[in-house]
Amino acid sequence: MIITAIINLIILLFAPFLVLGVIKKTKAFWAGRKGVSLFQPWWDFVKLMKKDAVVSNTTTWIFKFTPILIFATTLFAGLFVPMLGGSSVINMQGGFILFAYLLGLGKFFALLSAMDTGSSFEGMGASREACFTTIVEPAFFIIMASLIALSGNYTFESLFLILESAGGLGILIMILAVLALVVMLLTECCRVPVDDPTTHLELTMIHEVMILDNSGQDLGLITWAAGIKMVILESLIAALLIPTHLLGFGYSALAYVVALFVIAVFVGTLESAIARLRMSHVFEFIFAMSSFALITLSLTAIKLYGN
Amino acid sequence: MEIFYYALLAPIAGGVLSLACPEKMKLKVVSFFIFLSTVLCLIPALNVLVTGNTISADLNILNGIFGTVKFVIDPLSAFFIAVISVMSFVGSVYANGYLKPYFDKKMNISSHCLFFTMLISSMLGVVSIQNVIFFLIVWEIMSLSSFFLVIFEDNKKEVLTAGIKYLIYMHVSVLFIILAFAFLTIKSGSYDFASFANVLQDNAEFANLVFALVFVGFGIKAGFVPFHNWLPEAHPAAPSHVSAVMSGVMIKTGIYGILRVLALVGIPSIEISYAVLIISLITALYGVLYATSQFDVKKLLAYSSIENIGIIGLGMGVGMLGLAFNSTAVAVLGFLGCILHILNHSIFKELLFLGAGAVYTKTHTRDIELLGGLAKVMPKTAALFLVGSVAICGLPPLNGFISEFLIYFGMLKGALVDSLGMLIILVLSLAGLALVGTMAILCFTKVYSIVFLGMPRSENAEHVKNDVEFSMVIPMGILATFAGLIGLFPQFVLNVIAKSVQIFVADFELPQVVSVMQNISIVLFAFLLFVVLLMLVKKLANKNVVEHCTWGCGYDKPNNHIQYTASSYASPFLSMLTPLFKKVFDIKKPKDLFPKDAHFSLRIEDVEEAYIIKPFIKDVEKFFTIFERIQNGNIQQYILYGLVFLILSLIALVIIG
Repeated sequence: MIITAIINLIILLFAPFLVLGVIKKTKAFWAGRKGVSLFQPWWDFVKLMKKDAVVSNTTTWIFKFTPILIFATTLFAGLFVPMLGGSSVINMQGGFILFAYLLGLGKFFALLSAMDTGSSFEGMGASREACFTTIVEPAFFIIMASLIALSGNYTFESLFLILESAGGLGILIMILAVLALVVMLLTECCRVPVDDPTTHLELTMIHEVMILDNSGQDLGLITWAAGIKMVILESLIAALLIPTHLLGFGYSALAYVVALFVIAVFVGTLESAIARLRMSHVFEFIFAMSSFALITLSLTAIKLYGN
Repeated sequence: MEIFYYALLAPIAGGVLSLACPEKMKLKVVSFFIFLSTVLCLIPALNVLVTGNTISADLNILNGIFGTVKFVIDPLSAFFIAVISVMSFVGSVYANGYLKPYFDKKMNISSHCLFFTMLISSMLGVVSIQNVIFFLIVWEIMSLSSFFLVIFEDNKKEVLTAGIKYLIYMHVSVLFIILAFAFLTIKSGSYDFASFANVLQDNAEFANLVFALVFVGFGIKAGFVPFHNWLPEAHPAAPSHVSAVMSGVMIKTGIYGILRVLALVGIPSIEISYAVLIISLITALYGVLYATSQFDVKKLLAYSSIENIGIIGLGMGVGMLGLAFNSTAVAVLGFLGCILHILNHSIFKELLFLGAGAVYTKTHTRDIELLGGLAKVMPKTAALFLVGSVAICGLPPLNGFISEFLIYFGMLKGALVDSLGMLIILVLSLAGLALVGTMAILCFTKVYSIVFLGMPRSENAEHVKNDVEFSMVIPMGILATFAGLIGLFPQFVLNVIAKSVQIFVADFELPQVVSVMQNISIVLFAFLLFVVLLMLVKKLANKNVVEHCTWGCGYDKPNNHIQYTASSYASPFLSMLTPLFKKVFDIKKPKDLFPKDAHFSLRIEDVEEAYIIKPFIKDVEKFFTIFERIQNGNIQQYILYGLVFLILSLIALVIIG
């Protein structure tokens, strides 16, 4: 148990760099380039941690404190997520509520920190980010609650077990939940088509623009946290897709690692295949998650009370 | 019990005594007496909360015409007594600093002191008296004294309008309450609350009717949508510590009324439980939506009170559904969440109102668009307001999270009760509560960042040089400490509150919830430790930090007009929900080749008031103009009316008798 927990922690801390590397490599592949090394995000991070920082003179202590808090909240949220072999580091009743609210705390400070600089670019980013959250969060709660209703279990870890034996309807529910979580991943981790992490025009950014004024270690911690969030959401999707009990621990652990890789490739491919949406259409895209969530709920109701 | 009588009278005694004191001493005297009262209140209240035993006593007033005055302190009353006394004391200390600027303005501090103490005594009476007549008397004293507190600055026209609106709402409220109690008294033949239990439990339809009346009556006081309109008017008009006490404590007496009747009803019907849940959900969403759209900080806080009343109601609804579906676990979680959120809301809302008051004292404006950059000059207020903001968004590690967690958990458990309706409605309310939470984050990051962060947006904010005085900081500090303690040690608080829940759910086992809370507490401590550790590591890394202006695409003379405003911050979200608002634009477009002045402003009005209340009042007015002809100012005619009335009643008497 403890060994799995430690491995989980290591994955949570260091897989983000590899995942980002895989996305970059995939994009390079589709663009016909050789691309940077898989480990480039790690080297970027190391370089950032060695750098001094420039801080805006408009800011207060909140600006300096936020990177630490974002990192801590994301890491702690990650501890609740089922990873290797469907086991999470902390397994407690109602864990997903604490998970969502810890991420919320991080977001609260991220928004404040962006506004702290007094820049209208960052204000714009913050206002968009806050707005997206209001759509994503309720849908996430509907999905979690539906899964809890199906499994009859309140821990994050066992949420996903039920689907293995649920039959046809169960598979449909699983597909919808996965679709919803993919939308959530693209939104929360600011990937195309919601946001383009490589854009260079401040006006069109969302997440990147919120951290325009962060530099050095602060920026390093924030990018690390963003990577961890990516791994967290990938793990959620993986947990839905992998029938842990049928495969046994060893195979499902392997399947988990493969899933992390495959989802990263998928994100990279998506980014190469489509352009980001116009800002006004982004809302419609995210609302897709709400509809997936509502259909999941109705199917759950049919499954439980269908007769 | 005698101790409690003294506690009840102590504030009024202080208020009367303060009349004889010189101007500067008045508030100190009042604070001292309220402090005495708080100590005296806490002795019986904590005793009841710890042991779970009920204290009661009969007092003979007016020769017992309406029965004796029955004082009962059961765990529910004890909880409210504790909250009311402590929160009022904190507010009264703050008043010492806050009212200072008004001393030389010939404002009526004496009457303010008197009514403030009357409000506190009457609130204590409301939650402890269980006799219909005397309950209604103290209820009315409470409404009237708070009315006089609201119109403190009665030289301003909008304050008077708000005050009168409040007065009218309160009397519509009391109408429903009297109606409900009249039904109960007639049916049971007694003025005593305890005797109502039988009548209510015998007849389910009657219980539904009474509960509905009570819910409307007390709901107006509490601020449930659609009875909420007085709140966003009265709170901005009142002085900050009064808003704090009103919003933090007084509106909760409405919740107390509903809970008291609920306890008498016993097991509510399923329909009425669903109704409470759905109304509460609408209240919470409506409140937070309008809070997000407001730019007057106190109006915003008032709407956020409506939101929190909704959350409290959600807890109550879950609890009621638990009772109705005979699921103890769900009922316990719902009521625990409901009661804990009452406490939590009074803590952080009072904290935020006091913070808003501190900002107002320094800047003389409540319009957040004119503020900014205050965190640098008012660091203590800024830090404490941040605590309040995080807590009200329900974020860990503060108290708001705990009560919302309990309600979420209750909803999840409820969704598993074997019922399709419960599954759908509770999962949707769960999503609704999550939506409320994220909108609260949007709302309070807006307030906080526009008021305290960035650069000053006007002269009002630029001229602030220092923080407020200690008598204002300390009350906020106390409240922030409470918020932290409840957030980090939820298991201990739950054990105390569980006694109050016993009024609704006969016997239950707490350990499971407590162990979940213990886990939360451990995780949060580990989290805080980790944050501190990271801060140390970062300090040890000791990197060079260079200060420079904010990035502006190479433009290095940023000024305050370049910043984002509160309206633009909320705009993407609000534009998604346009149909839910009545937007009032005030636009003056630039004209000619060399435009001189242009102007744009947007005000958002309450849609319920604009489209339901106002047309309704217009119709009522139209109807009553029929009687204008009768009222013509001619005294002879008025005497004639009297004569005609007397003759008619004599004739009627002859015919009937």
